[in-house]
Amino acid sequence: MSISDASGTRRGVKKKDLIITPDDKILVTGAAGFIGNKVVEVLIQYGFHNLRCFIRPSGNRARLDRILDSLPWIRSLEIMEGNLLSEQDCMAATRDVAVIYHLAAARGEKSFPDAFMNSVVTTRNLLKSTLENRALKRFVNVSSFSVYSNTRKRGMRLDESCPLEPHPELRGDAYCFAKVKQEAVVTEYSRQHGIPCVTFRPGFVFGPGNEGITGRVGISGFGVFLHLGGSNQIPFTYVDNCAEAIVLGGLRRGVDGETFNVVDDDLPTSRRFLAMYKKNVCRFKSLYVPHAVSYLLCYLWEKYSSWSEGQLPPVYNRKNWHAYWKRTRYTNEKLKNMLGWQPRVPADVAFDNYFGSCRLKRKNA
Amino acid sequence: MLRVAILGCGKIADAHASQIQRIRGCEIVGVCDREELMARQLYERFRVRQYFNDLNKMLKVARPDVVHITTPPQSHYALARECLSRGCHVYVEKPFAISFNEAQDLIDFAGKKGLKVTVGHDDQFRPATRRMRELVRCGFLGKRVVHMESYYCYELGGSGYANALLSDKNHWVRQLPGGLLHNIISHGIARISEFLTTEDPCVHAVGFISPALKNRGENVLKDELRVIITEECGTTACFTFSSQMRPSLHQFRIYGSRNGLLLDQDSETLIRLRGERRKSYLEHFVTPLTLARQYAENSLTNVRLFLANDFHMKEGMKYLIQSFYYSIDEDAPLPIPYREILLTARIMDRIFEQTNATGSAGIAHRITRPLSLETPCLPN
Repeated sequence: MSISDASGTRRGVKKKDLIITPDDKILVTGAAGFIGNKVVEVLIQYGFHNLRCFIRPSGNRARLDRILDSLPWIRSLEIMEGNLLSEQDCMAATRDVAVIYHLAAARGEKSFPDAFMNSVVTTRNLLKSTLENRALKRFVNVSSFSVYSNTRKRGMRLDESCPLEPHPELRGDAYCFAKVKQEAVVTEYSRQHGIPCVTFRPGFVFGPGNEGITGRVGISGFGVFLHLGGSNQIPFTYVDNCAEAIVLGGLRRGVDGETFNVVDDDLPTSRRFLAMYKKNVCRFKSLYVPHAVSYLLCYLWEKYSSWSEGQLPPVYNRKNWHAYWKRTRYTNEKLKNMLGWQPRVPADVAFDNYFGSCRLKRKNA
Repeated sequence: MLRVAILGCGKIADAHASQIQRIRGCEIVGVCDREELMARQLYERFRVRQYFNDLNKMLKVARPDVVHITTPPQSHYALARECLSRGCHVYVEKPFAISFNEAQDLIDFAGKKGLKVTVGHDDQFRPATRRMRELVRCGFLGKRVVHMESYYCYELGGSGYANALLSDKNHWVRQLPGGLLHNIISHGIARISEFLTTEDPCVHAVGFISPALKNRGENVLKDELRVIITEECGTTACFTFSSQMRPSLHQFRIYGSRNGLLLDQDSETLIRLRGERRKSYLEHFVTPLTLARQYAENSLTNVRLFLANDFHMKEGMKYLIQSFYYSIDEDAPLPIPYREILLTARIMDRIFEQTNATGSAGIAHRITRPLSLETPCLPN
């Protein structure tokens, strides 16, 4: 038997390749989030209905409720509200689960302690609570591209073997710091306690629900949009495609301990994306900053920040420039080869959906 | 070298660590948090000597001279007392304690031990506020303070803090006697306390839940507060806290018998308000120009401070910490007199007694709509 998605398309994963059966319990943390609810949707499409969706009490349940309403015959889907900072909540969430998809994270948090607490402490609590759970077959950790240092030669291909940021505390980026430390905690628990883990590092996940322009393209806030990406490829992954990769990572046999980058095919350059955005969503003024200039500006900002003991926070620095604005190529070969993943939504459809959602959001603003 | 430790490694501890590291003659010898991972992240980012998850161990091993307490307010009293009993001076983040009694006890205990304590009212030491204090000291206001207005607002909006607070019915802020107000207003109340002369002024407070918060399902946390404070000598003050009004002000206006001052913390400006009126139309022509000149001067002062590297976002905190350390080292007067700490605590006690006694709607339900609002008067 192979699993099929809702449209009946066979996804090419045979039953013998799966580590769990459809009756096994699956936990999805951050299930109300942007990627989380898509993961739930994909799991249901794959025939896994015994789901425990863990959400914050402040989480937006609307999208999950819509999924439930559209599938009234599913009775085994459980929505659990709680806080991963609470050890009791973690124990309750992980009880009897076979696979954990850990998507809850501190997205957009600027404070280092808050980002750390909501990514690292929560992940440690979750892992700790699984230690007595003999049924656990896989822990899927969702990280980010931001963990890479990317200090290698310009134009190099960034893959899973690239080094991680050795000093995330110097990046001036709370999210990067938290994600690097989160991965370290997962690795530590995996090694010490033999928890079977798989890590995903998605690029920029876009789609309806996340309408912002990634900082890899440029930054606003200085009166004009500074276009920094230029001819760089932007590591986009459409939310449905990303969710599918993550789902496969929790089900496939033989990938324990592996890490996967998630990017789509046919990645546009920053310049092309900006042109498409202006054409499809709205026109605005942007100023292209060549790479050499942006590097120099980051260098000057970094030096001034250091000299002035943080009068300007070190948010722009050379480490960030390497990670976000240096010309880099991306690959999804490992994802395709080991998980049999293929983007379920082609790039043109994905961008159409995204731009449509951007237009709608602007209209309703 | 003054040995400093930080207890509690959350968001505000970052500000403490970065400002302490800007002060010469002191060193952070340890950081401590019950959650070891939190202590470790602060230790790694600020390259501190050691980290701990146990206060006793930190006090024993790191042997600090001063401990900064940056934990939730409920724990301030017990932790500060423990640090004082072990011979450490203590800097406590605001609010100093949960009640006046706790504050009084801590100050008395520090006195008995020959140690010093202070509270993190760092907004009181920002550059424009220090200029204001100097002008008041020089008699700019006249013989006495007549009236004060303090605005200390907080934009709740859809921030992560707001979401966490509103969704978590066990959030530590909810456990405070004054809830959200308790965690925020002491900065604005302390501004008033500084210029009050009596120890127990009369306080009238109205607190209520804003319609915006009610719409989000909140029925306990009050996010709007109006206070009137009066003294027998005739000095009065108004305090406003709002999560909804825009702009979200952080202003202080103080009016004396001769002149007034307007302090705007957000734009970091201090404006002198002339007591005397100019003749006839000159008031309309000259006054705006003199105000414009003052704003331009403030802007230039801010640029000058920035260029001199004295305009950090937490410049007030650095000044307060440095003054506190100087007071310890040289046995100089404390930057914040104990009287001011106690008066702030007493006023807050009075406020929460009243806001907790009223329902979620405060007294708003007793106010009838004035006719003039329904049928605005038009000029003839």
